[in-house]
Amino acid sequence: MVVSALTGVTDKLKHLSELVDHSEAAETTVQSIADKHFELLSDLTYDAHLPDCKIALEAHFAKLKAHLTQRPDPADSALFAWQAELLCFGELLSSTLGAHYLRALGAPIQWLDARQHLVASASANDSVWAQFLSASCQTQADKALQQRLAQQGLAFITQGFIASNALGQTVLLGRGGSDTSAGYFGAQLNAAEVQIWTDVPGMFSANPRRVPSARLLQRLDFDEAQEIAATGAKVLHPRCLIPLREWEIPLRIKDTDRPELSGTLIGPISLASPPSVKAISIRSGITLVSMESLGMWQQVGFLADVFGFFKAHGLSIDLIGSSETNVTVSLDPSENLLSADVLQRLCEDLAQVCKVKVIAPCSALTLVGRGIRSLLHRLSQVCAEVGAGRVHLLTQSSNDLNLTFVIDDDRADALLPAVHQCLIAERLLPLDEPDVLGPSWAQMHHAANELMVPALPPAWWKAARTQLLALAQSGPSYVCALPIVAERARGLIAMSAVDEWFYAIKANAGVPILAVLLEAGFGLECVSLPEIEHVQRAFPDLPAERILFSPNFAPRIEYQAAINKGVQLTLDSTFALKRWPEIMRGQSIQLRLDLGFGGGHHAKVNTGGERSKFGLALMDLQEFTALARALDVQIIGLHAHLGSGISDIEHWPRVYTELASIAERLPSVRTLNLGGGLAVPHSDCEPPLDLAALNQRLLSLRSHYPHLRVRMEPGRYPVAESTVLLCRVTQVKSKGKGRYIGVDTGMNSLIRPALYDAYHDIVNLSALNQPAIDAPCTIVGPICETGDVLGLQRKLPECLEGDVMLIAEAGAYGAVMASRYNLREPAKEIFLDESLLDTLEHKEKTC
Amino acid sequence: MLTAILPLAQGEFEFVTARLMQGCALLRYQLRFVENGELQTIDLIETIRFPGAPELANLPPARALAAHRALALLHVLAGTSYYKALVPPSIVTTSPLSPALADLATSVYTDGLAEFAYQNKLKLAPKFEAGAALATAPALGLSARAMVALGGGKDSLVSVEALKRAGTPACAVWIGRSELIAATAKASGLPMLNISREIAPELFALNAKGALNGHVPVTAINSAILSLAAILYDYNQVIFSNERSASAATLIHEGAAVNHQWSKSWAFESAFSALIEAEVAQDLAYFSLLRPYSELAVTQKFAQTDCYDALFSSCNRNFRILADKPTSRWCGQCPKCHFVFLALAPFVAKPRLLKIFGRNLLDDIELAPEFAALMEWNGAQKPFECVGEALESRAAFFQLSERADWREDALVQHFSKHIAAHIEKPDLAQLLAPDPIALARLPSLMQLALG
Repeated sequence: MVVSALTGVTDKLKHLSELVDHSEAAETTVQSIADKHFELLSDLTYDAHLPDCKIALEAHFAKLKAHLTQRPDPADSALFAWQAELLCFGELLSSTLGAHYLRALGAPIQWLDARQHLVASASANDSVWAQFLSASCQTQADKALQQRLAQQGLAFITQGFIASNALGQTVLLGRGGSDTSAGYFGAQLNAAEVQIWTDVPGMFSANPRRVPSARLLQRLDFDEAQEIAATGAKVLHPRCLIPLREWEIPLRIKDTDRPELSGTLIGPISLASPPSVKAISIRSGITLVSMESLGMWQQVGFLADVFGFFKAHGLSIDLIGSSETNVTVSLDPSENLLSADVLQRLCEDLAQVCKVKVIAPCSALTLVGRGIRSLLHRLSQVCAEVGAGRVHLLTQSSNDLNLTFVIDDDRADALLPAVHQCLIAERLLPLDEPDVLGPSWAQMHHAANELMVPALPPAWWKAARTQLLALAQSGPSYVCALPIVAERARGLIAMSAVDEWFYAIKANAGVPILAVLLEAGFGLECVSLPEIEHVQRAFPDLPAERILFSPNFAPRIEYQAAINKGVQLTLDSTFALKRWPEIMRGQSIQLRLDLGFGGGHHAKVNTGGERSKFGLALMDLQEFTALARALDVQIIGLHAHLGSGISDIEHWPRVYTELASIAERLPSVRTLNLGGGLAVPHSDCEPPLDLAALNQRLLSLRSHYPHLRVRMEPGRYPVAESTVLLCRVTQVKSKGKGRYIGVDTGMNSLIRPALYDAYHDIVNLSALNQPAIDAPCTIVGPICETGDVLGLQRKLPECLEGDVMLIAEAGAYGAVMASRYNLREPAKEIFLDESLLDTLEHKEKTC
Repeated sequence: MLTAILPLAQGEFEFVTARLMQGCALLRYQLRFVENGELQTIDLIETIRFPGAPELANLPPARALAAHRALALLHVLAGTSYYKALVPPSIVTTSPLSPALADLATSVYTDGLAEFAYQNKLKLAPKFEAGAALATAPALGLSARAMVALGGGKDSLVSVEALKRAGTPACAVWIGRSELIAATAKASGLPMLNISREIAPELFALNAKGALNGHVPVTAINSAILSLAAILYDYNQVIFSNERSASAATLIHEGAAVNHQWSKSWAFESAFSALIEAEVAQDLAYFSLLRPYSELAVTQKFAQTDCYDALFSSCNRNFRILADKPTSRWCGQCPKCHFVFLALAPFVAKPRLLKIFGRNLLDDIELAPEFAALMEWNGAQKPFECVGEALESRAAFFQLSERADWREDALVQHFSKHIAAHIEKPDLAQLLAPDPIALARLPSLMQLALG
């Protein structure tokens, strides 16, 4: 057992090593270290006082105090040896405490001084600093050590981070600390497995604190793990893998608080797995130095000269990209760069031989996965997401493990969850390998705290299978369970931070659905005059103010009609104010803004940023307000809707903050509309959107602007899961390696897969519980169009002509987008209310 | 809608009462006007809370009297927020003001509202009835310590550091709820005081009905709040952090100067401090510590401490919500962001500056017109914001154009290619040197601390 120091102790020892004289401050610090250990001791052993342990700890503290008085002169190279000797006390103390405690519990454990067993290998190139404070050890199996320990006992506790040199002096292993020690011991003892016990369940497909849908990586090979660790994951220092990889000793990461979890197992390459992306990581605060010169072309030694300058200024280069006339390198963030004029001096030197430009601050976004080059054709959505802003550098190394994009730092935070979502939607993560990809962070977190069901409840249609099979016999049908709509609506209405909900009826304008949402308290958002007329025909008594009209490039006549009807009106450009003053004069309006960023699961649903046609650009706001004032037009609400399928809950607080700060300058504003875009989870991968957490975030922001009401306008969220599309298998065919299953309706009913590459779960309802056959198949419709694909590469049971296929989450942008292309009638719509659904479920249980 | 009857042909703005009890100042105003043939009366009460302030009855009589006079001054200056909603032609005070206060009020209601008037195309001619002069205020024997006003930006933090160096006991004071300012106050290590100010809620209703809107001289109001606080909490100095360029007019309109930051100017400071000394407390000093300096000199001083880098913001747009990300503290789109970035650039390591802002504003060619305006280049007008003088922006650009780590950035390159040859290079040393007259006006200890 290799232990590290108690939390914060190494930092305190470092602080002690920097204090110039043995002063009062030093005494306070030593005392605080002592308090920490004695407090832990009494916490652990409240009924037995372990006097021996106290004596042993006190002996260490006496040595520590004596050591502090022997500080060499700062100029003396002996200072490093003294520092190493000082810093090792943290581990000596913690291991002493651990040994006594475990013995008191009855464990036959012995305390080992790591310095007697781990000997640093000296390298001629090492500086004195490195020899003492960043040493390395040999990694071969050590038979003598194995025998020595075998004779001595069964279990041992020793210190991480510390070793000795050939002269027997204390040295430190530097960064990576205890993990690295464990790696060395593992290699020298030829261990069956090394385990690292820490405070997280393992390595994840992204930083789980930023991306709650990040998945636990249950199995990784050494190279992938090292790449993930080196590109940003904090759980493991890449250095500790080096000795283990060499001797193929597996490493397992385990969570101290939850020992029952399997954690992450890192071992040799498994050849069976097809290429996939394992993780996405981000490193921030990166500086790029771009050097441009014709001089480098075929000139021997040019790069050596250039890199010489970096070395001379003590800067280490990380990424490199080059062309015939340009070489661009990245520098990791360092204190040195921030406080001194190092970069300025470097640029002055470089400017003598080339044109130099600093590009910063940047972030490096890295996709890690073995064989990533063979996935390039499937990265188009990732590239669209990343390429929506500036990309300064792309690097990909011949080891085929990573692909790195260097982007502007300010985009990194929003991009990480967005790209991770792409990896799931495009199935670039190994979603079909459950032994590799574990549960999501959110699911584990909820399960651990019993906050919410760990996985999604079973879909409603599973309980209604028999009746759905019957309904499907009358031809392709959309079947909607209205109680699901009501349930989703209740979930939203329960958010106390939001005062007004509007449902964007373009998602599904079915009258029974509108009735359910109106009943729940929603208003209705319409984007065309026919939508308003549809609503008013169905609900003639609906007060006009419960309708919000947010058209886009609509003709003048629709604005005039909406104003006559008295519905709420949204403008998103200066055009109406400039060209139709007679219509607009004296009106109160909502203003839709484009905040310059957007989000969502596909470029075609991203409605923010300059490539989107929606919203008034912020730079035009001043002109807009001037025009409005001239026409007595009151801007009573601000609105931003920046995309759909957004699963990052930080998105809406960001929109709120932006809109509220704009409203500071527009005192007539009373409402902020944060838009919608709430992601609907895919049934098998993502945790549901954490509405409670979103509510809390919004509440804390709202307290700053008590006079502003908050409005949201989801479309897809309340309806998507309520509806399934039923169809029947027409033909099955194989073509080379491809296997196609044809069904009796396609893009004429459901165009989302073709339009947005949307993913819908597809099951064979007739053969629901039968095992899938190995070869994946593609589900296609009967339309004469290559794009008429409903699902790619799915694993399904054998499908026979007439089998009923169910396409899930088809409630939004399904029936409303249907067409008669090929003159095939689209699926008809069937609505099931509470009573119908009850009967269905009842029958299901009895049969 | 009120817009139909604006500007008002008749109507009154009245200062009704100002009370101070239980650490709470209640300022009452009334707006009266005729709408659709009916007389409308709108009562407005602003509340300012001084946490833990002593009751007036418990103060020595001379200090209680001083507090009353400071309150009366605050009542008049804070009225700008409500007067401007409708700008009624007549102003009513319950009793005539002292001639000095009437003068100050007239300038605050004209010069202080000049930008508002310009934006709303109004001509302001407020009249305050003046009566007899007040008896000269005595010295109160206030304790030798300072209240320093914090704004969350770099300027007040430069003052804080100077006060710490001078060894002057000081308290960091800020008005209104702002997590951002609270965070910088905490980082300063000084004792803290947060005064809250609640605008009369009726004003929001008036605004919603189309009342006039625009810039109010908020520093004048805050100066009055801090002066009252100094009397209540026993401090003998109220320190603001306005610099030299705040005195420059933003534009000249019909022969009159329109200065966005008039209440930060020397004109206001000298009039206000004279009134405090004469009518409130002889030993209460009100001054701006940074008056001798240009913005550029202030940014140079700010560069010397980095403990506020991750907290402070001078951006006008994002001041209420504390954000841990630089791009949420600095919008990157307003003139304040542009100017502070430019002014800091010559004095801090580039990576540090980029870390503060989270992006490089000088490498974005689309911002060329904004930076041209800061330099008043090619007929562009300096924006209505608290930004430095054109010469300072020009000097900063000249500096950067000579720096290997900056000169390839889009806007620096643009400056070198298209602007530098057409303008004179300002003398940087001269811009950084303090104005000797303003420096001499500061207490000698402070002069040393500003070094």
